[in-house]
Amino acid sequence: MTEIVLETKALTKYYGGTLAVDHMDLEIPRGCICGFVGRNGAGKTTAIKLMLGLLNPTAGSSKLLGCDSSALTPAIRQRIGYVTEGHRLFRWMSIGGLEKFQRAFFPKQWDDKFFADMIEYFNLPKKKKIKHLSNGQRAQVSLALALAPNPELLIMDDPTLGLDAAIRRQFLEGMIELIMRQGRTVLFSSHILGDVERVSDRIVVIDKGVLRANCSLEQFQKAIKKAILSFTDSVPDQVDIDGVLHCRRSEKGLELTLVGTDDEEIAEWAKSAGAENYHIVQMNLEDQFIEFTAPANYRRLFQWEEK
Amino acid sequence: MRFSALLRKELRECLPWILLAAVVFFAFGGFFLRAAAYFGDRYWRYSRFSPGTTVSPYDLTCYPTLQTAGPWLFFSSIGLGLILGVRHFWIPHFTRTWPFLLHRSVSRKTILAAKLTAGMIAFVISLGALWVGLFWYATRPEVFPIPQAPRVFIEGWIFIMLGLVTYLGTALSALSTANWYTTKIFGLIFATFTTITLLSTVWAIGLIAVSTAILLVQIFDTFLRREF
Repeated sequence: MTEIVLETKALTKYYGGTLAVDHMDLEIPRGCICGFVGRNGAGKTTAIKLMLGLLNPTAGSSKLLGCDSSALTPAIRQRIGYVTEGHRLFRWMSIGGLEKFQRAFFPKQWDDKFFADMIEYFNLPKKKKIKHLSNGQRAQVSLALALAPNPELLIMDDPTLGLDAAIRRQFLEGMIELIMRQGRTVLFSSHILGDVERVSDRIVVIDKGVLRANCSLEQFQKAIKKAILSFTDSVPDQVDIDGVLHCRRSEKGLELTLVGTDDEEIAEWAKSAGAENYHIVQMNLEDQFIEFTAPANYRRLFQWEEK
Repeated sequence: MRFSALLRKELRECLPWILLAAVVFFAFGGFFLRAAAYFGDRYWRYSRFSPGTTVSPYDLTCYPTLQTAGPWLFFSSIGLGLILGVRHFWIPHFTRTWPFLLHRSVSRKTILAAKLTAGMIAFVISLGALWVGLFWYATRPEVFPIPQAPRVFIEGWIFIMLGLVTYLGTALSALSTANWYTTKIFGLIFATFTTITLLSTVWAIGLIAVSTAILLVQIFDTFLRREF
């Protein structure tokens, strides 16, 4: 049986009257790389802070490595790496000073060589103070600090936010370094679907505080598809097929975004609706995510395809 | 090891302010003390002890030279309390370093204890040590022949402790998640009230201890329960 390292049960958080996380039931098995995606303000950071016991849930509970988040013991925290949003570190400390500080909390598991290798790989001067580092460099320091203790579970809150493509690539390579170690679990939130696609094997989608998907990346990519149908006569008024996310109409055609609908089912419906022809389009992860989390009345600002 | 790492970090963070308070107090307090010793000595030698004057035992302690440094100790102490409170508990909100700090493999109690210990050490090593130094200096017969009243020395420690109360009051206000117009301001008001009330009372030490205990209980309670 797969061990669950991260578990939430009906996790709910209100900020005053605003619902940030809504009854989230989530299970992350050991050894997976999980991309935690959602739009701005979807509740990713709140969910992560709830999991780490930095926020108190309004209702529900969460567990990390079998320990309740609201009572994470020092021993459990020692097994969890955390990269904060925006890589907020003590600005007055030098990289070397920060290494010393961080090492004190992981006396047995701190890997000096690994940290030195990462700092060298990222070409960071150890004596430089955090306040004099660029965003990208701070992200690199942050990652090295989180990885050097060899954590069992690594949680990163939007670690690649604001980084350029080259630094992002380096950052992801650093992450892969951890992934290569057996039994390590990573949960990272991101806006950049390309990053999620590159390193994740699991995807968790949160939208307006609600957990919308928690499955393997492969399943997610297979499940969301677009069907484009054209008609000789008029387009049917009713689209009675299961799994329609969005339906866009033009004079002679229909563009359907579907979730969890079989190709055969689409073919059958296209035939029954009198479509002249139809084809199923494979979408990339970014498009899938946008369509999946778009509101029901969502429409594109510019209808380029139709023009 | 973990506590000492936290303590070092907290002390290093407030080191500039410890030095500033020490320099302000040493420069101004020391200057006035030196001046008082210089002029006081002449005052005693040439006017008070003029032939025919009767000197009571009270007279011998009514010119507490050390007291001239008192106001500077008071202002330095209150200033240091405010600044340290802000540095330790307010700035991390703005720099958003609380999550990084709190995800240490120590309990929240330890993190808070390290901060508060650093605050207390700051007062002792900057103002406390200087005050002891100045007292020692002022009591040397070659500086000023009349003995210094012990109550002035104790008053100095009261000032230092009031600075500590200000530090705790600022910390409580910084940690409170309430609005300013409600209970958030409680810490600062409590500290100010304590300072004004106990400024020149001889029995202040016991009450300061009570105020400190009240603030500490509130701070621990708030820190352990609050969200970051």
